[in-house]
Amino acid sequence: MPKGVLVDTTKCIGCRACQVACKQWNGLPAEETVNRGTYENPPHLSGKTFTKVRFTEIEDNGRLQWVFTKIQCMHCVDPACVAACLVGALQKRDDGPVIYDKGRCIGCRYCMMACPFGIPTFEWWDRWPWIRKCTLCVNRWPGTDQEPACVAACPTGALKFGDREALIEEARERIAAHPGKYVNHIYGEKEVGGTSWLYLSAVPFTELGFPNLGEEAVTVNPARAMSAVPPALVAVAALMSGIYWLNKRRQRMSTARAGDHQAKEEVTK
Amino acid sequence: MTNHYIDLRNADCIMIIGSNAAENHPIAFKWITAAKERGAKLINVDPRFTRTSSKADLYVRIRSGTDIAFIGGMIRYVLEDMRKHPQDYNIEYLTQYTNAAYIIDEKVKLPGDEGQNGLFSGWTGTSYDSSSWKYASPISASAKLLSPYWSGWEKREDPFPEVAWGDLEERCVLRLLWEHYRRYDTETVSRITGVPVDELEAVYAEYAKTGARGKAGTICYAMGTTQHTYGTQNIRAYAILQLLLANMGVAGGGINALRGTSNVQGSTDMCLLSHILPGYLKVPNDSDGDQTFAGYLARTTPANISPPDGLEGTDPANWWQHTPKYAASLLKAWWPEVDVNDSYHYLPKVKAGKSYAHIGLFEAMDEGKIEGLWVWGQNPAVGGPNSNGERQALGNLKWLVSVDIWLNETAEFWKRPGTTPADIDTEVIVLPAACSYEKEGSISNSGRWAQWRYKAVDAPGGAKPDLEIMSLIMARLKELYAAEKDSKFPDPIVNLDWPYGEHPDPDEVAREINGYALVDFTTAKGREYKKGELIDSFVDLQADGRTASGNWLYCNQYNTWNEDRDGDFPEAKVEYTKLGNSFTAINKLKKRGTVDRSLNGIGLYSDWSWCWPLNRRIIYNRASVDLEGKPWDSEHPVISWDGGWSGDVPDGGWKPIKVALDDGEPARLPFIMKPEGVARIWGYGLKDGPLPEVYEPWESPVVDADGNRVNLMSATVNNPAAFIGDLKNDRGTAARFPYVGTTYRCTEHWQTGIMTRNLPWLNELMPNMYVEIGEDLADNLNIKAGDKVIVSSARGEIEAIAVVTKRFRKVVVNGRSVHHIGVPWHWGYSGLSKGDSGNILTPHVGDANTTIPEYKTFLCNVRRA
Repeated sequence: MPKGVLVDTTKCIGCRACQVACKQWNGLPAEETVNRGTYENPPHLSGKTFTKVRFTEIEDNGRLQWVFTKIQCMHCVDPACVAACLVGALQKRDDGPVIYDKGRCIGCRYCMMACPFGIPTFEWWDRWPWIRKCTLCVNRWPGTDQEPACVAACPTGALKFGDREALIEEARERIAAHPGKYVNHIYGEKEVGGTSWLYLSAVPFTELGFPNLGEEAVTVNPARAMSAVPPALVAVAALMSGIYWLNKRRQRMSTARAGDHQAKEEVTK
Repeated sequence: MTNHYIDLRNADCIMIIGSNAAENHPIAFKWITAAKERGAKLINVDPRFTRTSSKADLYVRIRSGTDIAFIGGMIRYVLEDMRKHPQDYNIEYLTQYTNAAYIIDEKVKLPGDEGQNGLFSGWTGTSYDSSSWKYASPISASAKLLSPYWSGWEKREDPFPEVAWGDLEERCVLRLLWEHYRRYDTETVSRITGVPVDELEAVYAEYAKTGARGKAGTICYAMGTTQHTYGTQNIRAYAILQLLLANMGVAGGGINALRGTSNVQGSTDMCLLSHILPGYLKVPNDSDGDQTFAGYLARTTPANISPPDGLEGTDPANWWQHTPKYAASLLKAWWPEVDVNDSYHYLPKVKAGKSYAHIGLFEAMDEGKIEGLWVWGQNPAVGGPNSNGERQALGNLKWLVSVDIWLNETAEFWKRPGTTPADIDTEVIVLPAACSYEKEGSISNSGRWAQWRYKAVDAPGGAKPDLEIMSLIMARLKELYAAEKDSKFPDPIVNLDWPYGEHPDPDEVAREINGYALVDFTTAKGREYKKGELIDSFVDLQADGRTASGNWLYCNQYNTWNEDRDGDFPEAKVEYTKLGNSFTAINKLKKRGTVDRSLNGIGLYSDWSWCWPLNRRIIYNRASVDLEGKPWDSEHPVISWDGGWSGDVPDGGWKPIKVALDDGEPARLPFIMKPEGVARIWGYGLKDGPLPEVYEPWESPVVDADGNRVNLMSATVNNPAAFIGDLKNDRGTAARFPYVGTTYRCTEHWQTGIMTRNLPWLNELMPNMYVEIGEDLADNLNIKAGDKVIVSSARGEIEAIAVVTKRFRKVVVNGRSVHHIGVPWHWGYSGLSKGDSGNILTPHVGDANTTIPEYKTFLCNVRRA
């Protein structure tokens, strides 16, 4: 059964325990940040930050709402990144997660262009960069009673881990049980063919920065999807010119990396 | 907390006022979320729109420091609504379980009475003489309030007449309450608080619904309530409201202080504060009476106040009548070999009228009266008010010892920005301490649950657990005092019982706190104790020196091991030897039972750890049942009588009032800690009045046309009994400092930041000192989000990054706009992330009763850096 996480933004208090728990479990370093006039930090997802909470102030008919939205890889049911990957480094598992095999990655960053949510990031600072993103903590839960680290850290139950189908059912029940509390939409149920992360909200999702995507999976018509991402053309050029360098890197990789990047190995296995 | 965290889920309405629970108690918010899932309403009253406000059904933006006006208005609303809809309230609770019907002394005057000008009777010019606040003698009650006319309220369809409360006997508490708070009409309250009238009425109506039988409302508060020059009276206002609504003692009700640090409840229980001894025994003073132990006991042991005619209950439990047992047992815990009448003289005697609290301490330091200071797990150079003054005062010390897990600003005060280290002569000694995961011990949470915790890893380097540091120092002190022939007053040190050794066992200390028999003896009820055996409960403590107990409230945390009862908790089994005898006991703090055995599953979880007193999870729970012992709320029963009590540990095991009367026995009133046995709507124990009255903060934006400070309620502007310090304590005016500053913490950092500003993951989330400014004010001042700004007060200025937000907004006070500036106080000049402390701005003034600093309201200005 594919797994997923239901995020009920009406229960999220923005404490960001999930953000720190993710760093702790995945052994990710802190980013050097500055206060930019908001509580929100770091500004973007990166190779050092797989998840973050977005803080959105919305004024609606004089009523102020402050909404906290956790973002990370959505683990699409039919992932564009997997379709875009030339070498099969990104794969969709039957139980939900979209995983990454660095041994196959050639660093083309096509996945970054393809992702409709703009999630995968590149370790630009590293001499041997990988694509990094949320793993759904696939090294925690299969075969155990553990949940992803972020879910385990959530104090209010805003995050719930479980079978995707059951979570969709529960989300429908919550909407029905509290008329007027939620917008009648489970984000991720159908977007781009469905995602493992599912969201409930009291305000329209577009106001929270969620892209308004169709229900058709990106992979059904990849050409159309890619054309929506102009930098893809640039990426193709970059890919061609960089292929020699990348091949050299792949040869060095197996010897140089095995020992000193064990943490990353664990995460990405 | 009168209740406990899980119990928040039982509330029908939760009012969070003066607390930012979502940010400062995120785990507690689990239970608030659970209540909301059940349909409970969440009200949040705060000058700032916080992460808590984001989850509220009703958010009320209030001017900082106007809780008494806000709650006073609600008390008025409830009294008026109670008259119109008596069937919606629990008047039996009000008349039988509180002092609502009691008559007060004939000399009493209220602040609104002619000629009182905002003062209660008894003001001497420097302090209050509270004699006119006491009950009339002989004690009597309002016959009208207790008459069938009133007690038939349940069946009444029609409202009571307009004059209902004013028609009661003069000086009856409920009439005084009405006379006092009738001045707090919504228009006046709106002008003071800045809350629009329609919002006030909406929130009053919502919370008043919890007055119905079977409904429960809870008030969660924190330092937003306490840190004012009238902070204690803020809490009194909540207490009065909760009693009017019959919300005390019931599940989902109560007054719940969400404590500011993880073990602040435990440290208060163990006498961290200067005015109490362990277990809230009063501290001896330098009065004539306190020169002997007997005189001290006579002063601090209250006599019974029998109820007036008309109340059904006949006897107060007056639990503090047992003070002599607890005080003697405490002295015996410290000095078991010394007669209590002698060891009593080992206790320091405080000078009447002198403040030994934080502000008073630093004032004395500034005056050069203090030679040395131990700062243990604290960082006053950042956390204390008026930092510039307090940091300067530290320089008057000869020596300073800082015990902390990090090098903090207090330890480094001598090299703070703007100073020349060579000019400071203070010798600073730093003792590295183990952090909570590096030592074993216990911790008492806000819900009074004392929980054992275990060491996970060894402390790094030479860092030691606090207990070990304390024990090493005490052992050395004893050596030094014993060795020095003519040392001054060595007895308290030399005679102190200190059996712990170099590596103390926390369990041994906890056993001393619980208490043990010093000799073989048998209690009146036939319990035979052997010398050295742990005492079952404080009921068995003795006033004659046969028992020792370091804190009577914690007596019962151990019991003699009983395999049938305790067999499920083998990890809690303790074997020990004391005074030559060996025993086996259970340390209930180690219990981790996850089965909830409470009535209707209300979530007491009484097998998880242990709580004081006697594992009673909801205190005052005898007020949760009617006179026959039946719960007011059958859905959430705390206790219930059916020939015996079931449910929580009852607040005194006596029969319910009517059952006792039928059996011809004394009928005990439910509020067992009070000498009168009923809860005090009218109180006479505080220094600044029997009822909360509106005063302005020491620095207030409310001024008249000439710029003079005014109080819109009376001619007395500030709390006359407040503590006003002298230490570099300049006072700002609204003309120079037009904005209201308020300080607080955020989720991402902890207290003075020393535990969190050294953690890169947390610095990533909140990297810099910031202040929060509303978009409306920022526009006026041309400040953009992310700009550097200077915030100034009469005492200093700080630099910070501006967070410009819709969440801060002006309030209209008496026709004028008032803006708030939000100032966190997590930063300082030590650690990885550095910045200015918000406390550079705050004044050296404190609450009349506790001297807690007025951190939450002061005047400031702001400009672009």
